[in-house]
Parts: sequence; structure tokens; C-alpha cells
Amino acid sequence: MASRKPALSRIELLQGTLDLIILQTLRWGPRHGYDLLQFIRTTSRGVLDVDTGSLYPALHRLEAQGVVAAAWETSPKGQRVRMYRLTRAGQRRLAVEQTRWERLTGAIAAIAAPPAAGEA
Amino acid sequence: MAWDPDDPRRRDLDDEIRAHLEMDRLARIARGESPTEAARAAAREFGDMTTVREVTSDNWRGEWLANLRQDIRHAARRLARVPGFTAVAVITLALGIGANTAIFSVLNGVVLRPLPYPDPSRLMFVTSQFPTQGFSKFWLDAGEVLEYRERNRSFSDMGGYATTAVNVGAEGAPGRAPAGRVTAGFFHTLGVAPERGRFFTDDEMLPNAPLTVILSDELWHSAFGGRAVLDSQVTIDGVQRTVVGIMPPGFDIHDQGIRAWVPIPLSLAQVNTYRGGHFLYVVARLKDGVTTDGARAELATMMQTWTQMDGGDPNAPCCGKGFVHTPTPKTHPLQMWDLREEMVGGISRAIWVLQAAVALVLLIACANLANLLLMRAESQRKELAVRAALGAGRGRLLSYFAAESVVLTLAGSALGVLLAWAGLRGLVAAAGSTVPRAAEIALDGNVLAFTLGLAALTGVVFGLVPLLHLNPAGLSGTLRESGTRTTSGTARHRVRRGLVIAEMALAVMLVVGAGLLLRSFWNLTRVDAGFDRANLVTFGVALPTRVYTDSMRRVQFYQDLTSRLGATPGVLSVAAMAGLPPRRQVNANDTQFEGMPQQGPFPFNVDYYQYTTPGYFETMRIPMVSGRGFGAADGPETTPVAIINETLAKRFYPGVDPVGRRIRPGAFTPWYTIVGVAKDVKQGGVESKTGTELYFDAEQMPKTQGFGPSAMNVVVRTTLPVEAIAPSVRRVMGQLDPSLPIIQLRSMDDVFAEAVSRPHFLANLLATFAGIALLLAAVGTYGVLAYSVAERTREIGIRMALGASANGVVTMVLRQGLALAVLGVAAGLVGAWGLTRLAATLLFGVAPSDPVTFVAVGSLMLVVAAVAASVPARRAVAVDPLHALREE
Repeated sequence: MASRKPALSRIELLQGTLDLIILQTLRWGPRHGYDLLQFIRTTSRGVLDVDTGSLYPALHRLEAQGVVAAAWETSPKGQRVRMYRLTRAGQRRLAVEQTRWERLTGAIAAIAAPPAAGEA
Repeated sequence: MAWDPDDPRRRDLDDEIRAHLEMDRLARIARGESPTEAARAAAREFGDMTTVREVTSDNWRGEWLANLRQDIRHAARRLARVPGFTAVAVITLALGIGANTAIFSVLNGVVLRPLPYPDPSRLMFVTSQFPTQGFSKFWLDAGEVLEYRERNRSFSDMGGYATTAVNVGAEGAPGRAPAGRVTAGFFHTLGVAPERGRFFTDDEMLPNAPLTVILSDELWHSAFGGRAVLDSQVTIDGVQRTVVGIMPPGFDIHDQGIRAWVPIPLSLAQVNTYRGGHFLYVVARLKDGVTTDGARAELATMMQTWTQMDGGDPNAPCCGKGFVHTPTPKTHPLQMWDLREEMVGGISRAIWVLQAAVALVLLIACANLANLLLMRAESQRKELAVRAALGAGRGRLLSYFAAESVVLTLAGSALGVLLAWAGLRGLVAAAGSTVPRAAEIALDGNVLAFTLGLAALTGVVFGLVPLLHLNPAGLSGTLRESGTRTTSGTARHRVRRGLVIAEMALAVMLVVGAGLLLRSFWNLTRVDAGFDRANLVTFGVALPTRVYTDSMRRVQFYQDLTSRLGATPGVLSVAAMAGLPPRRQVNANDTQFEGMPQQGPFPFNVDYYQYTTPGYFETMRIPMVSGRGFGAADGPETTPVAIINETLAKRFYPGVDPVGRRIRPGAFTPWYTIVGVAKDVKQGGVESKTGTELYFDAEQMPKTQGFGPSAMNVVVRTTLPVEAIAPSVRRVMGQLDPSLPIIQLRSMDDVFAEAVSRPHFLANLLATFAGIALLLAAVGTYGVLAYSVAERTREIGIRMALGASANGVVTMVLRQGLALAVLGVAAGLVGAWGLTRLAATLLFGVAPSDPVTFVAVGSLMLVVAAVAASVPARRAVAVDPLHALREE
């Protein structure tokens, strides 16, 4: 929606993958939404351009599931921000998601290898 | 999705979004962008705020719902990409659901919904019987009604009524309106209060009371413009009556469309003078705590002693010494049943048959959809396999497919309700007077709830059946199965073919049913009613007896009317008769036959008396079997003469020539000499057996029986159509008495069409549904064969490359299609054999297992299947072997 870059930056993150990225990121400490977005963009060297329409639903879904917890805090710059942190359940989920991710990449590699390469 | 502004989570989210934007803006300013530019860019970067809000709030409801919503959104998008498939599926569903919704509205409005009276389940309907005379549902006389009301302990109240029609002398053109004549207790029993004014008082129900009338809301508006008419005088049948009340809109009895209510003046003191004149039906309201069986038991006990209570001898034959005409258990029992059952009992079977028919249509639609989805599922096996490999569980896969059927079902149901709404308006218009309570048919909450439930059920049936053989474990095989077009998957083929056979079978049952009803209707239209109905125009005239008090004056009126109308250009001849064939009320009459002593408890009964003007038999073109019709030689002063019909001649004069014999209606009139035997004319409807009938010359009535018929039907034999003859009728009637309405001027063909309108209506509806079923079954057969041909492109290519002829390929595909059809037709005919006997009462002149219909329908279905198969067959021949082989 808001993305201006074509091709790779627009790949739809497969369901579950964004969850994995969020959980993985929160492992290093609590972050707010804007922060998460910047972090994912920078870390993936701009390839993964998660839009807000995916990020916030995902955060709220994870919160509803109890794998992350959110609280209002004041940032060092004096701004009121909603901080998300990983819960105990979140840590367990992360382990599961990582295993699944490995299966997924393996499967995609098996299926999509030569012929699917040119597809959009 | 409810976006509740007061939800604290919403405020949180808004704050969060605002914080996000602010941080982005500050970061941009820090990077050197201008403040305005930064704010704009931050908003642009963030994207559509509304969508973010909506999607996020969806997640508050938990994952399951969010997934479902997402699945549905994706499903809608996927379906939009295959418009052909989607259109066929939605239209198929809409036809099935629309037909069911429409017919259920009829079932709901007519059969299921309680009658529009307070506590309607306590209302009973009482009639009488004369088993020895062959009458199983007859009226009560006023004496019986008064005494039953007085003596029973089961009912809180009861009242009798008779329906008639009256001339309403409103300003301008006079009108004719159905009217109810009621006894005391009638309104109280039904329990509906007048909207304005009051009911008749007890005094107003007595003989010689001032004349009063209660108007219906409809008549009040149509004839009196809704003006203040309470307590003022209106002209009813030529006399002034005081309006004491106006009933609420829609108040009626037995769906008669009653527009005015007048009292039948009765007094318990004169009860003996009322005996024997049976003309009242009775409604009664059970007391609280009294059951139908209790009321019946009380009635049975009452009948044992009724005659003695009235001072009569229960064993005395009619109508000599000691005989008092009261109910008795053996010869004249009373009976009762539920009022609703009485009103809709006749039509409810027909409506249930229609409901069953549309249920079959829906089943066929489901089978078709299941097949469509099955084929779609197979074309998507690869995508599913990828999803399964990515870890989507069976539940997610089910939900993926369920979402498509939910979207299809919703769209199909919405369109179906629209179809039903449009169809229902036509249906109610076409049903007209043939279906009781037609005014109560509507798409109401009950109907919509039914549709919703039906849609859900439909979605489950056609949406989940395709998934039964879809399991994630099996899907992994699909990935390896790189060439899709193989001959594997026989199980899937078996399911598809089974569905086609089933829908063929269901369609056959429906078409057989429709065929039988159409043949019945055809038979009905070809019944010989006994006269020539072509080029015949008819209308009614009713002379108010309080104005035309002298019966000779009435006879004179009809003589003038027939002679003046007969002199009009284009008119061949004119006559008038009391009861219009082919359907009129039975008027069972005690009759004496000279030289034949009474047998049994009652005098001989003649079903129909008919009073006619001379020239009746000539005008109607009723052939005389022997003797002559009424002629110019017969008149008030000559020997009283009568004419009998063939049925009467056979019943009472077997093997004897009746001409010259004498007959009379009761002991107080002179004997009438039978001068002729006329061919039977239908009286109780074209579908009924002809009853015995006795014709009198209306001119002789005042002298011999002391009355002259007041209301008569005029028949005009003319070369002109109704519209062309109408001005002459209006002119002549205007000359004779401009205050008289011309009642129902129409052709005799129209009278007949109305007499068979119910079977016509049923046959048309069922034929429509059968047509839809046939179409769906054809589409289903086509779909399966087309898919099969597409699947076997490679195989067909090989066959052709190996030298198979085009004919050979066509035969192969046709044979495959016909094999399905033969199985389906066979199963359908067997099913029809069992089902059609349930509709036996709706048939006329055709057996439920009529071999001609069965064979014809079977052949028709095979032809339809062959046509449906020929399209894919031709496509198979068009396969280019080289292309087919290269395709893989």
C-alpha cells in the first residue's frame, strides 16, 4: 500500500514469517512499533519493507495470543510510546517458529528451485 | 466490523499511531527535511490509516476470526479471478435458494402461520353431515346453531355465518361486494374488536330489529372514501342500514373477502321455524382447558338426546308425525375440526408437494456446486500442496475452501432472496383466488431465517463434501505427481459421476411430477362440461328482494333483460339461470317422485335445482337426450313442467322413459311434468362427478312455488368478444335499472379458466421447477464430461494419433455421458414411482404411475443428456494430436 519500491521489497511476507521476525527482534529487548519497523528495514538492508498495515495487526495479534506484552512508557526523548516485550510464552513460540522456518525454507527450495525463479 | 469509538483499545491504537507518525516526522526533520515536508512524508509512508485500524482491530477478536476474515477476503479475490465459474455457481445457488425461499414464503403464509385471530388454535369449525344423502360436509340450520350455543359447555362462544353478496349503493356507480350474514356470537367467537364503533347488540340480532351493518375497512374506504359513516345510513341491497361498526383491515372469515357484515335476525323462541333450512357454517372457540376431544365427546353425548330435548321422536322418519329435524348421531351428525385445518387443509398438500419439489431443485443445485468445487479443488491441488508443505494444518486448508463456499453461499443467497422477492410478486398475482390467505404471503422474518438456515446448510453440503477426500498427507503425493493430466484419481471420478447420476435422478423425479400435473391440467381442460362454452359471455344480476318484493316483477325483469339484449346486433340468443356452471354451490333439495315412496329417514335428494329462462338449453347448446327444452308454449298459466339431467334419469328412472312422469319439490307445490332429459352439465367443478339436477322454468316459479329467483346469471351467445358486447349490456341494464351493478362480465372461457386455475397454477409452478432441475442436470452432465475430456486430452490425442476416427472419439464421449444418464434416469424413475403416489390427490385422469409419462420423461432426459454430452464430444474431436502430445 504505502510501499513505493517495486519487486522484492513488496514480497508478501508469508503468514507466520512476520511473527518470526517480530519475535526474533524482541529477543534483544523491548521495542515500540516505529522502532521495530526501522530495525527490520535496516537489518534486512531494505529488502523487507514491512508496512504498517501488517506490522500493527501482527503486534496486536501476538499480544492477543499472549506471546508479547505491551505497556505505555516514556521514551528517552520524552515521548509516550507503546513498548512491546517478549513473554515466557513468546520465547517458547519463537523456538517453534524457528523450527517451522527451517522446514519452510527447505520446502520452498525444493519446490521453487529452477522453474519458479522467473515468476513474479 | 464494528469500530466502537468508546473501546479503550481504540484510543490506545490511535495514540500508538500518532506516536509512530510523530517519531517518523522527527526523524525526518533530523535528516534535514522541512517540517511540512516531513509531516506529509510520514503520513504517506504510514499508509492508509483506516485500513491499519481495521485490520489491527480485527486481531482483537482472536486469531480464528482474523484468519476467517482474511480467508474470506482472499476467497472473494480468488473467485473474482474466475468469473465464469463464480457466475455459474452463484446463479445455480440463487435458483435453488430463491425457489425455496419463494415457496417457503407461501408455505409459511398459508399453511404454517396461525390465523389472524387472537389465540387462533382454540377456534373450531363445525359442519353437519347427511350420510344417507351422500353429504359429508353440509351446513347447519339456525335452530341447531341457537341450541348448540345455548346448551354446550365446551365453548366460550360460537356463532354461525353464511356468505353471500350484496349490492352496495355508494355514490356514483353501484358496487357488488361479498357479504357475511352472521348470528349472535360470531364476532365474539373470533375475538377481533371493531376498529371503530361496536358490534351488533343482542337486540339488533332479533327479528324486526332496525337494520344495521358493519363495514370492512376496505369497503369503508373503497365505497365511502373513509368518511365518517358511523351511525349514518347506507344503502345495502336497496335498503337503508345504519353503520354501527367498522372492522380492522384484513378482518375476514374463511378467506371470503367479506366486505360487509349483516345480522341474521333470529330468536330462540321461534327455533322450530328455522329447522331444516341448512345454510350456516359455525365457528366456535374452545374454553380454556377444554380439548378438541373433550368438545367432540360432549357433542356426541348431546346428539344422543337432542331430538328428545326438542320434544321429538328420534326414530320418526322425516317429515311426518313426531319428527323434529335436529342433529342425530346416525342420519345427521355434527362434526368439528380445527378452523385452520378447514381453511388450508385442501391446499396444504399441494404446497408441501411444491416445497418438496424445490427442495429437490436445491439438492440438484448442491450436487452441481459440489462438482464444480471438486473440479476447482483439483485444479488447485498444487497450491494446496504448497500450503500443506508450508505447515498449514488440515484446519487451515478446510478454512481456505470453506471461505470460498461461504462467499459463494452469501452471494448466491443474496441473489436468491432477490429472485424470490421478484418471483413472489408474480406468484401471488398468479395464485389469486386459488390459494387461500394469499394476502398473507410475504418475505418476513421467518422466511429470511429459513433462508439463512438453508443457505448455511447448503454451504456445508456443497462446500465440505469436496473436502472429504482431501487430506494433507495425500497432497504431498500431488507435488511429486508433476504431470497432472494422468488417468489417476479414480476415486475422485467416482464421486463426480455419482453426483451427476444423483442429480439426473432427482431431475427425473421432478419432471415426472410436473408431467403428471400437466397431463392432469390438460385432462381438466378437455372435460366435456355438457355445453358449448365458445362464443359465450356471461354476467350476474342480483335484484334486491326488499326492492323487487313481487316475484312476478323479478321474472318480468329477466324477461325484459333477455329480450332486449337478444335484440342487440351480434347477439344470437340470451338466457338466464340461477346457478352458473361448471362450479356452483350444491343446493341439495328434498324432492318427491310420483309413485315412489320414501326410503330411509329422509326424502329423496336432488343435488341441484336450476331455475332458467326459456331458451336456456338452446343458448347454452345443451343437447336434449329425449323430450324437449322449455319453450314459448310454457308459461305461468300452463302445466308446470320440469327437465331432468341424465344422471337423475339414470338414478331414479333406470330403464324407464322419464318423460311424462311427475316430480315435485316437497308436498306443498303442484306436480311438475317431466318434458325432457338434458345432457349432463357440470355443477361441482369440472373434476367432480355430475350430480342429479332438476330444471324449472323461472316463469312458472311465482305461481307454483311462490317465489322468483332474485339473483341470476345471464348468458349471451354472441359472435362478439366481451369488450364489444359490454356497451350493449351496460346500455340495457341502465335502461332497466341503473342502480343495479353488472356482476363479473366475462367470457365463459374465463369462467372455465378460473374453475381450473388451481391445478393450472400448480402445474405451471412445478413445470418451472422441473425446467430448472432439467437445466441444472444438463449443466452438471456437461460439466463433468467437459472436465473429463479436458483431463484426457493427452489420451485422446494418443488415440487419434494411433488412428482412432473422429466418430470413434465422439462415440466414446457420448457413451460415457449416456452411461451416466441411463443410471440416473433408471434411479429417478424408480424414485418417481414411489413419490408420485403421494401427490395422487392432485392428479386428474392420470395414474400416479402413468406409463406414458414415465417413458416420455425417461426419453426426454436421455435426449437432454445426449445434447449435454455432444458439446464436450465435439471438443474432444477438435483435439490436435500433436499439440496434445507436446503439451506435457
